[in-house]
Amino acid sequence: MKIILQKIDQGVEKIAEYGLYVCVVGMIIFSVLTIVFRWVNYNILWFEPLVRHLVFLAAFLGGVLATGRHTHIGIDILGKFFENKKMYDAQKWVERVISLACTLTLIWLIKASYNFMVIEFEYGKEEFLGIHSGFLVGIIPFGFLMIAIRFGFIFIDSFLKEEAK
Amino acid sequence: MGILTGIGIFGLAIIGTPLFIVMGLAALVAFTFAEVEVSAVAVEIYRIAAAPTLITIPLFTFAGYVMAESGTPKRLLRLADACFGWMPGGVAIVSLVICAFFTAFTGASGVTIIALGGLLYPILKDEGYSEKFNLGLITTSGSLGLLFPPSLPIILYGMVAKVDIDQLFKAGIVPGILLIVILSFWAIKNAPKNSTRVKKDFSVSELWLSFKGALPEVLLPVGILTGIYGGYTTTTEAASITAFYVLIMECFYYKDVKLFKDIPKIILDSMSLVGGILLILCCALGITNYLVDEEIPMKILALMKEFLTNKYSFLLFLNIFLLIVGSLMDIFSAIIVVVPLIVPIATEFGVHPVHLAIIFLTNLEIGYITPPVGINLFISSFRFKRPVTELYKASFPFLLLLVLALIVITYVPELSLMWVK
Repeated sequence: MKIILQKIDQGVEKIAEYGLYVCVVGMIIFSVLTIVFRWVNYNILWFEPLVRHLVFLAAFLGGVLATGRHTHIGIDILGKFFENKKMYDAQKWVERVISLACTLTLIWLIKASYNFMVIEFEYGKEEFLGIHSGFLVGIIPFGFLMIAIRFGFIFIDSFLKEEAK
Repeated sequence: MGILTGIGIFGLAIIGTPLFIVMGLAALVAFTFAEVEVSAVAVEIYRIAAAPTLITIPLFTFAGYVMAESGTPKRLLRLADACFGWMPGGVAIVSLVICAFFTAFTGASGVTIIALGGLLYPILKDEGYSEKFNLGLITTSGSLGLLFPPSLPIILYGMVAKVDIDQLFKAGIVPGILLIVILSFWAIKNAPKNSTRVKKDFSVSELWLSFKGALPEVLLPVGILTGIYGGYTTTTEAASITAFYVLIMECFYYKDVKLFKDIPKIILDSMSLVGGILLILCCALGITNYLVDEEIPMKILALMKEFLTNKYSFLLFLNIFLLIVGSLMDIFSAIIVVVPLIVPIATEFGVHPVHLAIIFLTNLEIGYITPPVGINLFISSFRFKRPVTELYKASFPFLLLLVLALIVITYVPELSLMWVK
């Protein structure tokens, strides 16, 4: 069970890593090319929306990495208090509550953004390079799904670790 | 029911739930209570993909991380040492200047302390400064360049408050210099009498050599400012050029960073931070727009007007409030959560939006070293393996000095507005 979950989690991490390489290299190349082309009065219209959507995708993929590294930004007053007081059991339970709350909220966000994607496929249009706006909006449920998988893994793993002990 | 849910969400925030989850949940709940289809939250999230300045955040951050991984800190240290090292307190001033330069590029994300702390600490120690002073100085310097372009918090503030980022870049320069000058005087006052380090005389040839060595990096902020204010590039284009230039310089000119070995790691490290920030920004759009639609800032304003009668009392209240916010929240969360509520109120009290931005950012810069959860205190505690309470004590004199500077910045708006039309 743990090995399967770990493989899925590692798979999600790898997708995010390779996705980020593509996004960042794409952002730099296309944004620099836009400037160079502008100097010679040449304009390729799809560069700019492509770059914007690469940034949008990178936000989610970066979020996937931040989840695995436990580096999401938060107001961690209670966690730090428990850490200072060396209340490790309480800290562990707080972490469980957090990862469960994150997973459930993300499921709700996935549903909300999936509904939006369906509507967009119905009423949207092609944005650039023949890509339908529904696919672009699809970045949101896809990104949240990847993050939800990782939070779900963190939650389940916290119990599996204890069992193993 | 609504109150209970609100308390629950607040509770989740306090225990350390990632802020983007808190924001997303708050938006989902608010839209549900208002009987609006929750897919509206996703519509709000997608709006961020239309922001043209969005790309500046990942590109400037990436450039900062590349520089942090390269030999840039050493080259800049050598140059700053050649410029100021001969002065009393010179080494400490060098530390302040270098850290400010670095923070402007890395967005006060803690990278400055990690990248430069190890370099500066032994130099300051050799110079004879007390350990308490060294820790306090490095901890404070970790967020010192936050008011200088192209700092990430400035860009984020501009995006959230819908204030021209170019104007903010200009407005931050003089207040940013003021902070460095005040801390420099403190460094001079604390300069040790008996230094074990061999005092160097000012040397034109060393200055020239170090300048030549760091020229491509020294030119960077000058190039960015000239590009933007000379009308040659937009802020977005400046970010693209900076990322590209830094990548080429560090990989092929200095050869400090390997393209296929180091850059992938730098991409992941920098984008992990960027992802964290942008996700909060995405999810916050839903809830902040809901708050604005419900006219919450105006309701707060009506309440405040019963107690605060003029602009100056409002500014005093604002500073106290923001110092508390800064000590509890990190700067990115604070910008996204607090700015949409504060801006309309400040406008009603006649505070210039650019001046408000500088006051806001200075407060949050101080928040980085304010107990209990100022993030620099924890980063330094981790970096130097000292208890965080020791860092509280070490940073306290610096905290007082920065509060003094904040008062000047708040009540002398000309400092922020002298270059703003």
